Amino acid sequence: MWWGGRGQSFNIAPQKEEPEMGLSGPQSVQGSGMPEPRSPQLGSCLASGCLPGEQILAWAPGVRKGLEPELPGTLICTNLRVTFQPCGWQRRQETPLSSDYDFALVNIGQLEAVSSLSRVQLHRPGSLLKFIPEEILIHGRDFRLLRVGFKAGGLEPQAFQVTMAIVQARAQSSQTQQYSGITLSKAGQSSGSRKSPIPLLETPEDWETERKKQGANGWRVSLVNERFDVATSLPRYFWVPNRTLDSEVRRAFGHFHQGRGPRLSWHHPGGSDLLRCGGFYTASDPNKEDIRSVESMLQAGHSDVVLVDTMDELPSLADVQLAHLRLRALCLPDSSVSEDKWLSALEGTRWLDYVRSCLRKASDISVLVTSRVRSVVLQERGDRDFNGLLSSLVQLLSAPEARTLLGFQSLVQREWVAAGHPFLTRLGVTGVSEKAPVFLLFLDCVWQLLQQFPAEFEFSEFFLLALHDSVRVPDTLTFLRDNPWERGKQSGQFNSYTQVYTPGYSHPPAGNSINSQLSVWDWDLRYSNEQILQFHNPGYDPEHCQDSWLPRQQPSFMVRGPPSSVWLFSRGALTALNQLCPWRDSPCLLTVSSRWLPRPAISSESLADQEWGLPSHWGACPLPAGLLLPGYLGPQIRLWRRCYLRGRPEVQRGLSAPTITGLQDELSRLQELIKKWTPRTSPGDCSQKGDPNPILSQSH
Amino acid sequence: EIHTNEKEVAEKEVTLHLLPGEQLLCEASTVLKCVQEDSCQRGIYGKLVCTDFKIAFLGDDESALESDETQFKNKIIGENDITLHCVDQIYGGRPKGQKWKFKALRKPDRMVSLCLFDRELLGQWGEKEIKLIVSGIIHHTLAPKRLKRLFLFSYATAVHSNTPTNPQNHTVMFDTLEDWCWELERTKGSMKYKAVSVNEGYKVCERLPAYFVVPAPLPEESVSRFQGHGIPIWCWSYHNGCALLKMSALPKEQDDGILQTHKNFLDGIYRVIHRPPYEIVKTEDLSSNFLSLPDIQTAYSKFKQLFLIDNSTEFWDTDIKWFSLLESSSWLDIIRRCLKKAIEVIECLDAQNTNVLLVEENASDLCCLVSSLVQVMMDPHCRTRAGFQSLVQKEWIAGGHCFLDRCNHLRQSDKEEVPVFLLFLDCVWQLVHQHPPAFEFTETYLTVLSDSLYIPIFSTFFFNSPHQKEMNLGREGQDAHSTPLHLLTVWDWSVQFESRAQALLQNPLYVEKPKLDKGQRKGTHLKHQRQLSLPLTQSKSSPKRGFFREETDHLIKNLLGKRISKLINYSDELQDSFREFYDSWHSKPADYHGLLLPHIEGPEIRVWAQRYLRWIPEAQILGGGAVAMTSRLVGMMEEVRSLQEKINERHHHQTALPAEAPSLLRSSARLSSLFPFALLQRHSSKPVLPTSGWKALGDEEDLARREDEFVDLGEV
Repeated sequence: MWWGGRGQSFNIAPQKEEPEMGLSGPQSVQGSGMPEPRSPQLGSCLASGCLPGEQILAWAPGVRKGLEPELPGTLICTNLRVTFQPCGWQRRQETPLSSDYDFALVNIGQLEAVSSLSRVQLHRPGSLLKFIPEEILIHGRDFRLLRVGFKAGGLEPQAFQVTMAIVQARAQSSQTQQYSGITLSKAGQSSGSRKSPIPLLETPEDWETERKKQGANGWRVSLVNERFDVATSLPRYFWVPNRTLDSEVRRAFGHFHQGRGPRLSWHHPGGSDLLRCGGFYTASDPNKEDIRSVESMLQAGHSDVVLVDTMDELPSLADVQLAHLRLRALCLPDSSVSEDKWLSALEGTRWLDYVRSCLRKASDISVLVTSRVRSVVLQERGDRDFNGLLSSLVQLLSAPEARTLLGFQSLVQREWVAAGHPFLTRLGVTGVSEKAPVFLLFLDCVWQLLQQFPAEFEFSEFFLLALHDSVRVPDTLTFLRDNPWERGKQSGQFNSYTQVYTPGYSHPPAGNSINSQLSVWDWDLRYSNEQILQFHNPGYDPEHCQDSWLPRQQPSFMVRGPPSSVWLFSRGALTALNQLCPWRDSPCLLTVSSRWLPRPAISSESLADQEWGLPSHWGACPLPAGLLLPGYLGPQIRLWRRCYLRGRPEVQRGLSAPTITGLQDELSRLQELIKKWTPRTSPGDCSQKGDPNPILSQSH
Repeated sequence: EIHTNEKEVAEKEVTLHLLPGEQLLCEASTVLKCVQEDSCQRGIYGKLVCTDFKIAFLGDDESALESDETQFKNKIIGENDITLHCVDQIYGGRPKGQKWKFKALRKPDRMVSLCLFDRELLGQWGEKEIKLIVSGIIHHTLAPKRLKRLFLFSYATAVHSNTPTNPQNHTVMFDTLEDWCWELERTKGSMKYKAVSVNEGYKVCERLPAYFVVPAPLPEESVSRFQGHGIPIWCWSYHNGCALLKMSALPKEQDDGILQTHKNFLDGIYRVIHRPPYEIVKTEDLSSNFLSLPDIQTAYSKFKQLFLIDNSTEFWDTDIKWFSLLESSSWLDIIRRCLKKAIEVIECLDAQNTNVLLVEENASDLCCLVSSLVQVMMDPHCRTRAGFQSLVQKEWIAGGHCFLDRCNHLRQSDKEEVPVFLLFLDCVWQLVHQHPPAFEFTETYLTVLSDSLYIPIFSTFFFNSPHQKEMNLGREGQDAHSTPLHLLTVWDWSVQFESRAQALLQNPLYVEKPKLDKGQRKGTHLKHQRQLSLPLTQSKSSPKRGFFREETDHLIKNLLGKRISKLINYSDELQDSFREFYDSWHSKPADYHGLLLPHIEGPEIRVWAQRYLRWIPEAQILGGGAVAMTSRLVGMMEEVRSLQEKINERHHHQTALPAEAPSLLRSSARLSSLFPFALLQRHSSKPVLPTSGWKALGDEEDLARREDEFVDLGEV
């Protein structure tokens, strides 16, 4: 029942389908120079899996190696992806993309051609292959590995051609190609207006629903950025304090870096608010009025305000990128690190160290948010990377709802996608510098939490892996744009604004385009139903979710006048501040970078201890129910082996499944039996009680 | 402020529970036990007591511990007790401030200073008294002792009259001839091997047990020729007929004449065991090209140091270097090499159909380790609790592992101290961790077993050999003219734990081997199955005479301490076949009731977190850890069971009888990841910090004053 099992990583069994089905797919344009597929059947097979606008450039028969069992099939290179199609396997129409056999071109990290004589790496488009490859190794940036061996016997030119085609296609894709997502997929058309499984937060209604769900009564949805004229990187809608006028918001946001002023991220049911904002724009010279509105927005009606310097004690973007590169090099199957040096090599990547820093910081912030009613403001200069990471982690730690499958997806949609995390730039799809897989770092942090609290999350490790792999799959726009404005522009959301904002946009799509726009959360595009079933963590104990909040006094929201205490949280300690805004007399608060300095000795006692050293609201219980405090000591941070070591066959095997699944099956089977049996013994017919139940007799 | 505390202590006077035969040696009242070392003001007041069994702290926090988490209470040693044998290091001294500090570190079992004692220096206490207490404690713990002064004996003398002999949970003790015959029958080795009683009364050799098993044709008089050296002793038979043997090497001699005698003797032995029906013998010389004992000790003391960290600041500082520190201790690498060696041996037994002969100087350290690891991996019986305990009895206790010296129980010499048994447990833990459903016991079981190594009321781990045990007991019997002493064995878990707590030692996911049909012979069935799943190169099993001879010669050269050449090609070939064997096993689904191999790649060898982190409060994850999953599992198992019962009742028209046995795991809502070992540290009564305390604590001067300089009290 679990994915993988031993010996095969994440494969579903190849599925046979009627050949007629294949014909219904869109016809592909044959790449120039390729021989026509010999039989029409094969041609239609190859074409059937194509997405709109996809072209097959080259193909060659081969055998997938490295995993048991070896699969014969065809290696196909299109202008979007490299895919391996096992013999007799056909893409089902409802899952046009395959999570097992597809490699998006942008996902190819390294390409190696091997013959008995030599082994070369093909990097640039110009690099020439001087021999007929016997085997080709594609290393994915997502740590997957595809090994295809080519059969001898007359097909060598094809092997050569497909290899070269991959090299070229990859080079081209990194230069120009920006795939626009499946706007009109078959699935979307057939089911009429397809509703997104997760609120995409593209309408004010979505935001209003979410606000009500969180119980953030002192807040409202602001429409001030509806035309993206406050900031293109901000979502069209966001939450601001009730009593702040839109004009005030507009003016106040101008004094922040890239116009990203303070917005509500999450309202703690106990009353605290978690806010995020960009750095203060030091060059601006706000007047008294503006300062007052900035301050009141940061204060959000609380008397206690804590500013969190997000970047403090966290790695820089370049650090993250370097660590990720090193980690990938280490996890390559042929990495030359010997077994007894493995641990120090792993440490040398510093990846786990960064994971630890994030967890530690998030844990501190969630203590701040939970321990008393206050406003906690995450402040990062750009407000698009670590703010999202920390705010999501804090919610995962302190809100049981965020740990459900649905809650987690909408959390990512809100804090990353809608909040304008520059996925395209950070994941290096566009080839611009400033690459840094912050989102992958976040997923690793979540995995650590999953490890430490196996019964607290509704989603499984497999779901995280799926999300991890989806980041580079060119099917939907979720992760393929840098900000909500670009995303909306592409999907033609704002037809009415086309004239004003995107004059060059030529094809206004059909009226239902918003509905047909698919997101990454439409998992059935890439995953079969059996796989989606495995997104659920069988060990999840939903009881945890119910009594989540102990009542805590909610103070009156409106606190007039300046806050009574203002703190700066950095290096694990709170420091009192005189004022919230830097403009009055001193320059920017955040100019002093304190990263990687040792913490002061006084913080040896954890923040949680300090906070709850006070007479607490929770009586004997040391922690409020629902709050998780992760461990972040050296031995507690682990390597995500199922993800990073997927390319290494010897590790791949034996990632044996927890047997709890088996038990879960047994349990549901028994419950099913009981359920079927119960209505028969309904109070009325006691006389029938003696009759042996047909179902039961089967089971015995 | 101090006076109020004193009053509280007086009110809640906690009585000291003494075991039978235990004597109070010295005590000090009004001692502050610190919660954390760096903040000395916080802590619990109480009494520090030293008896001839333990150092104990009697505080007033007992009441706070009456919650669910303490259900896993050890009946012998309490939360604040250290048995004297556990004390690893003692620090004491007078810091610059006005306080005496005393700190005792437990041996591996409780690594971190739960037991930091700090005494408020009050008027009525002079420096002299403190010194007296501390040096008294030091004397009683760290001074060399004689064997007969062990608490073991005073305890046994005090209780022997009223202790009934307990059944040992079906553990085979291997102290009678029948036990060995039973084991031979079980492994179907009785055709080729026989149990001998030549050493009855330890006439031949004091190292060997009274009864053991040798190849059937071996003449009994050759056993006594070199006091049991040079004799192949049977450990275990695989179902394909191959056997694991061990042999203690002949003493190294310079004299050519003696060497010639040795050679002739060994030739004679080899003629016996090379004749059919015996398979070819491969020799593993464990003393020449494997781990050395000092290496193990060095690695372990480095490794242990990683967890002896006083406060979380230090933890954070070392965290960045955690992996390289871990690697530089090379403890994990040693584990890997042990596992690898065991797999190599298994490859010979399973794939190449050869016998394997382990050779070591006394055949009582690494021999025990490798042979018991091999059996755990190959014999599913050894993965049950009773089977594992029998295995320890057979290979370690009867096998003559010098527990007394290796654990340094008598504090006579540090040189002999090597944690070989602990290394074995850690290797087994790796297996348990990688294949949990294959084992009837849990990691908690292994952890408490490793703790029991230092509890001197069990005789199991307090003797160097069966002979030594018998000698000491026998003499006691003669002197007192009464029945001989009855010593407890560690396998009687009810001495330490209530039955509810014992449930935590049992793996809920373990599935017993399905019973075979009566008509079907067990052995043939297994063999058949094995051949199906492992069609490996059988070609090597055809014995070539030449190869044979060369092997023997090679062996003899080794044994005589004159290793002339290293056959490099040979070892290369070995590597290849090892790799092939290892890979092919791992590419198939594991049969939890068959051969079981661990992963030994770099990322797969882990730190035994439960054991090493359990006393570190910072390592606690509330509501998380493996316990969360286990408790969920136990809940589900219970539900499945009750549903099945319901269905059965329905089937048999019986009335419902809700038999609810609430388990430890079910009851409490959120357990700590350190469950069942640590208590919630947050329960401890701490002085309340003022709201503005975050800053106030950081006073530089105060910090400087708090800098403590420890004086080594060893010389006091």
